[in-house]
Amino acid sequence: MTVKIGIPRSLLFYYYYPLWKTFFEGLGAEVTVTGPSTKAVLEEGLGLCVDEACLPVKVAFGHVAALRGKVDFIFVPRLVSVFPREYICPKFLGFPDMVRSCVGGLPGLIDININLYRREKDLYRQLREAASPFCRNPLRIAAAFGEALAEHRRFTERLEAGMLPDDAFGDREVAGGKPGGENWTVALVGHPYNIYDSFINLNIIKRIREARMNVVTADNVPGPVVDRYAGTLSKRLFWTLGRRMVGSAYYFMDNPAIDGIIHVASFACGPDSMTGELIQRRARRTGTPFLSLTLDEHAGEAGIVTRIEAFLDMVAMKSELSTLS
Amino acid sequence: MIGFLGLDVGSVSTNLVLLNEEGRVLKSVYLRTSGRPIAALQKGLRQLCGLLPAKTAIRGVGATGSGRHLAGIIAGADVVKNEITSHAAAAYRLVPGVRTVLEIGGQDSKIIIIRNGVVVDFAMNTVCAAGTGSFLDQQAARLNIKIEDFGKAALKSAAPVRIAGRCAVFAESDMIHKQQMGYDLPDILAGLCEALVRNYLNNVGKGKDISDPVVFQGGVAANQGMKAAFERALQTEVIIPPHFDVMGAVGAAMLARDYVSRGIPTKFKGFGAAETDFRAGSFECDGCPNLCEVVEIKEEGRVIARWGDRCGRWSIRVAREKIS
Repeated sequence: MTVKIGIPRSLLFYYYYPLWKTFFEGLGAEVTVTGPSTKAVLEEGLGLCVDEACLPVKVAFGHVAALRGKVDFIFVPRLVSVFPREYICPKFLGFPDMVRSCVGGLPGLIDININLYRREKDLYRQLREAASPFCRNPLRIAAAFGEALAEHRRFTERLEAGMLPDDAFGDREVAGGKPGGENWTVALVGHPYNIYDSFINLNIIKRIREARMNVVTADNVPGPVVDRYAGTLSKRLFWTLGRRMVGSAYYFMDNPAIDGIIHVASFACGPDSMTGELIQRRARRTGTPFLSLTLDEHAGEAGIVTRIEAFLDMVAMKSELSTLS
Repeated sequence: MIGFLGLDVGSVSTNLVLLNEEGRVLKSVYLRTSGRPIAALQKGLRQLCGLLPAKTAIRGVGATGSGRHLAGIIAGADVVKNEITSHAAAAYRLVPGVRTVLEIGGQDSKIIIIRNGVVVDFAMNTVCAAGTGSFLDQQAARLNIKIEDFGKAALKSAAPVRIAGRCAVFAESDMIHKQQMGYDLPDILAGLCEALVRNYLNNVGKGKDISDPVVFQGGVAANQGMKAAFERALQTEVIIPPHFDVMGAVGAAMLARDYVSRGIPTKFKGFGAAETDFRAGSFECDGCPNLCEVVEIKEEGRVIARWGDRCGRWSIRVAREKIS
């Protein structure tokens, strides 16, 4: 019988879904993903999760709970580090344990450690653990791993070509350049699970596009560019996501094709409060239109929408003036 | 005569203005929303209609404020704009060269930084409404003084008392405590103004480049005590523009004037909208687990607008029904 593996549509799903999915399917498993976040998913997560966690972790609890009774295993890796000498947020590290102690009625959890702090090559050994509950054929595992890495590379290339994860997951051809018709380009900088989850960010990408603006994110910026700009900081940032946000934001400020930056942060996120400030200070110095939005489960739609509208007006007015002069 | 209408439906007040062709404010109406935005807007339209010069033709309508979508549907607005853009538009046309706009309304406060006539930065209060009009209203009522006399009383103070202004609830406790200690009322009122200004500058104004000329607008600008407190804190003159209490509506009307100047005919439904039967209701959509609360506006029993649905299932349907 085919083993069913569930992946919650939350946290680093937005970066590693193609890799995980290809790996498990290569081993003969069937992969199920939860649907987009909804109010019901959030409510479920709020009820199960500790109060002190940030909004995306609470939502992730809801996604895990939604997989109960539908799969044989839930894949919740303990993400310690995904790049050498960098770390992921401690809440990710504790996530499988929090889930295990707070959510009842769970199927088996595949909660392998992903820790590439020492070297990236460790990934193979660590993912092999993930296969152990249902596949012990080393040749099959090696083949699945190779396919998964190739799929991940293809996904990354699509992002760097300007696609956003939701489009890049699919099999559509990479569209050349940005879609036509947009007058301005706004950079959306934030953790992937905040900017790509249209439920928790009140549909920000759609709102920007409806204002005839093009959206780019940190994930469209190639790694070496992020490295170069993040390298201008006086001290190395050791959070992978924070480093990517700061590096790409600094690059966007240097890039005349970018008309403004929106920074999306979760309330109670420690790294966000720091990286947000770093980005905001430089934005002010460089005169880049900048908006900071903080999300939590109590976010009033009216306030967020008014801010986004005013920001887009500001970007449009500023760009119109500069093209006139 | 040709006129342009600006509507600002806010949490506490509903304002309407009439501009002439040159963009000068001819008439304005300031009403309390009293929790019933449709009724307030209709009352405003009726009052403004009575004030109109003979043979006025409305060529454009702009709506703003937290109730802007509602106002836009009921009156038929050409432009529906957020409060920040509207307030900025009014400020830099009525006070040329303005660089900082402080705006405090019923339940929100904003700061807008303008350079060379363009908004370059702004902020709105996030989680705290201490220092906005509602709180001052409430305190005036508690102290049994009219809100109109609040500012004058505060100006009489020679030595403002320090009030903890971090939170409205604690500010009230602290005021009660200071009263019980025996401090003079004007000193407490002036102290409250200073606390609210401190709160505003530390929250909304944090990190903003506040420079001259500074304009103070919104309903709270009527309070002389607040103006004086801002001047003391910023060490500069604070300008209260004419029509400071209806600036949002003025800005919306100006934006509408710009918009229709491209030869676009107005969607204004006429002052008869004040007599039409509009009803707002809501229902919970059960199409998906989001359970959106969908708002429905009916004109004479016919649905003319819906919003509040994330996916557009209901709002799109109205647009389709209109076309067919």
